[in-house]
Amino acid sequence: MNVALSRRGVWLLRSFFAVVVIFLYAPIALLVVFSFNNSQLPSFPLSGFTLHWYHQFLVNADLRSALGTSALVAAISSVGAVLLGVLASIALVRRRFRLKSPVSALLLSPLVIPYVVFGISLLLFFHAAGIPRSVLTVVIGHIVISLPYTILVLMPRLQQIDVSLEEAAYDLGASRLRAFRSVTLPLLLPAVVSAYLIAFTTSFDEYAVASFVVGTRSTFPIFLYSALRFPNQLPQVIAVAVVVISVSLVVVIGAEVGRRVAERRLG
Amino acid sequence: MADGTDPLERRLGRDDFLKLAALAGGTTLLAGPAAAARAAGAQLAAESGRLQVLDWAGYGNDGGQAMFAAYVKKHPKNKPQFTYMTNESDALAKMHAGLKPDIFRPYVGWVKYFAQSGLVEPWNPKLIPSFKNLNPFMVKAGQYNGKQYGIPEDWGFDAVLYRSDKVHPKAKSWSLLFDERYKGRIAWFDDLNMLVIAGLLLHIPKPWHMTDSQLDKAQRFLISKKHLARMIWSSETDMDNAFASGDIWIAYAWPNDWVQMRAKKLKVVYMRPKELPVAWVGMLMLGKGTPRRKLAHAYADAWSSTPSAKWLENNYGYGHANIKARPSSSDLLRALQLTNPKAVTEPNAHLDRDIPRRAVYARKWEEVKAS
Amino acid sequence: MGRGQGVLTVSEAQARRRRLRPDFTTPGLLGLPLAWLAVFFLVPIAIVGLYSVGRLTLDPGPHTVTLAAWREFLHSPIYLKLFWKSVKMSLVVSVIVVALAYPLAYYLALSGTKRKYVLLLLLIAPFLTSYLLRVLAWKVILGNQGVINSFLFWTGLRSPDHPISQLLYSRFAVMLVLGYIWLPFVALPIFVTLESLDRRLFEAATDLGATRWQTFRRVTLPLSLPGVFAAFLFVFIPTLGEFVTPSLVGGASGYMYGNQIVDLFGTGFPDWQTGSVLALFLLGVVAVLTIVFSRFLQTREVTAG
Repeated sequence: MNVALSRRGVWLLRSFFAVVVIFLYAPIALLVVFSFNNSQLPSFPLSGFTLHWYHQFLVNADLRSALGTSALVAAISSVGAVLLGVLASIALVRRRFRLKSPVSALLLSPLVIPYVVFGISLLLFFHAAGIPRSVLTVVIGHIVISLPYTILVLMPRLQQIDVSLEEAAYDLGASRLRAFRSVTLPLLLPAVVSAYLIAFTTSFDEYAVASFVVGTRSTFPIFLYSALRFPNQLPQVIAVAVVVISVSLVVVIGAEVGRRVAERRLG
Repeated sequence: MADGTDPLERRLGRDDFLKLAALAGGTTLLAGPAAAARAAGAQLAAESGRLQVLDWAGYGNDGGQAMFAAYVKKHPKNKPQFTYMTNESDALAKMHAGLKPDIFRPYVGWVKYFAQSGLVEPWNPKLIPSFKNLNPFMVKAGQYNGKQYGIPEDWGFDAVLYRSDKVHPKAKSWSLLFDERYKGRIAWFDDLNMLVIAGLLLHIPKPWHMTDSQLDKAQRFLISKKHLARMIWSSETDMDNAFASGDIWIAYAWPNDWVQMRAKKLKVVYMRPKELPVAWVGMLMLGKGTPRRKLAHAYADAWSSTPSAKWLENNYGYGHANIKARPSSSDLLRALQLTNPKAVTEPNAHLDRDIPRRAVYARKWEEVKAS
Repeated sequence: MGRGQGVLTVSEAQARRRRLRPDFTTPGLLGLPLAWLAVFFLVPIAIVGLYSVGRLTLDPGPHTVTLAAWREFLHSPIYLKLFWKSVKMSLVVSVIVVALAYPLAYYLALSGTKRKYVLLLLLIAPFLTSYLLRVLAWKVILGNQGVINSFLFWTGLRSPDHPISQLLYSRFAVMLVLGYIWLPFVALPIFVTLESLDRRLFEAATDLGATRWQTFRRVTLPLSLPGVFAAFLFVFIPTLGEFVTPSLVGGASGYMYGNQIVDLFGTGFPDWQTGSVLALFLLGVVAVLTIVFSRFLQTREVTAG
């Protein structure tokens, strides 16, 4: 017998869950529908099927350039965030030191800062330091933003990995680094990949901070925002939206499933 | 965006190297080493890359292609690359952030500001064949200290657009934007010009030179009426969409918006307020230190040409400074008063002009939005 | 003694461990991440402070420190009113979203469903796709000729002359969209907390004669409060500083505190000093909230697997 929920309770909550999930996915489904709709305005009734908008955005050079810039920024900043995240996680999980609480608070604090404040602070910082705004400044900002997420993904996995395995290797004469590399790192790998993907999707989608510190190039969210303000390219943008959302859903779900499978197999 | 780099700073790619080598080899044979060096330098200094244009939405590849089609035909390798500005403040912000446009388009009220700003350099009208056809009054308005900083192109009015089937104004006046009866159906323009409009309504004699107390009065008026505004638009297409879908019935708008709504078969009136509409003239300006000076002049010439001018008048409902251009419809001709060379200034309209205390106006306007 | 083969004796190994255990690798490990945050997170915030008191300004050159901007901010009726408006909007969104997310998390954690992680992933996945695109979806849905209205016309439920107006470009639109954006994410901390509750507590309560409802009220709910507070903060803090959604669907009345900050920095006549004051004030409020609520939070609850 379930002590927390009666049968009816389960049924009620399950229905509620289903309704919410439908509510969450319905707007996305609508975007999919309208991306094939043969009309400039997304409204009912529908006007016939077309692949025109998908073709349009494929030939849109500005859009492709924005996607490329975002991919570049995301790829680089995620490497940085994962690197720093691994270092920090090891220290937080495997080491004992006095200031652990404030240190972990500091490392996680970018989670709670409103991005408008952080974006502005970076803008002012780069201006005062004389560093011109560019793709590099966006990468720097995104590393800060993604770092807490990577730590939050890596720490639990690191806790799961039995420290005595590494100790054993160390006892057998391996250096600390070698022990880590040959024993812990392979076991950590699924979480590393997961952390990288989370950092990547976070950076790829990030608008607020990027809008303050990107110089004259556009990232994809910045291009999107401009397209939303000047909605004469709306159908094309909807087609892009569908592609990006589908890809990120597949990536996210695939990554999480893959991680769990890998971790179960690695033990 | 790599095309936008200064040619002298551009790193030598393999192609350039080969070209230079061939050039150097060729000219050495003909004219000796000094000439070869000069020729190689000239090759590098030839204008190249895409023309960087900072312009308003609708004037780029999103509908305005006809205006510069002649330029693209003559210079296919230097096609314009557009960045969009929502207004001059936005353009200024973008340039502070590092954008270096070859050409951008502020309007007549900003000529003095930009001329003094060090961000632009004067044009050489001799390089623009169509220049001689431009309205002399507007040409004068683009000058500062005797130099031609702005080339007048498009012109038109700020006035009130409303749905004649839904709205019955009490008077032909700017006050329609503040009419209590149409709460939630009104769109204001996101620009400190709203303070000037408030000034006109409050009978302040020189709304572009308001004192602190006059500014406060204008600001308080706007704040008191803000609950009537559904939208404060900065994107024209955004406002057009909202107007077309019926979310908005009354808007601070430009003639093109009237044309767009009529094309959508809406019953609209573009009202000429009794306090006079505001008139604007678009001024193409040349970015200081641009590496594509001649290309920029060619672009300006394409915009100033008679066929382009005619296209603008027919399709956007704006006037054009080229006096040889006449729209095909006499309806439009009358509405735009195109036969009147002084249509943009008193007693016909209030020509946008320099606001010396613009920074103060900007702050006051931000406060209106925040309230 | 076996050293030649790279193998240590037990005592040698213990000695080695003891020597290096109070180890110096911790600063080495933490050095880089902390340095990065110090330079690119803490220093910029300090710089905002300097701008807010006029020590640094847009133009170079020495300037005197002045609290004038702060005084103006605290005395002006406009800014604090705008902040309060944003607080109210964020509160409404956060409370509703947390209230909706709680039953979802409860179902996943405590109904005994076999596929709880899959369903959790299903719930959270939209949150991990593009924010702007999901706002776009609502812009499409809410307009006068948007999906809702055109559907109503099409099915004859409303005549085309009377669309449901005021859906788009309103405070309602902003709150609806923000709620939609954050709902998936908010379920997570509540789920983690509920999941980690010891089931024997429920059994004990039942053994003592409590009904399910009583168990919920007296046991489950109080114990899950840390997760609820975490969830509340997760949505309240970001929405307080929101500016993207208001600028896209808010119109004139959905204008929020974050929008004013952006406007003060983004125009051609930027007022970096006042903007910095507003930004720091927001940051201060957020910091105080986080510290106050962190007494109720345990970071263990927050790190989800």
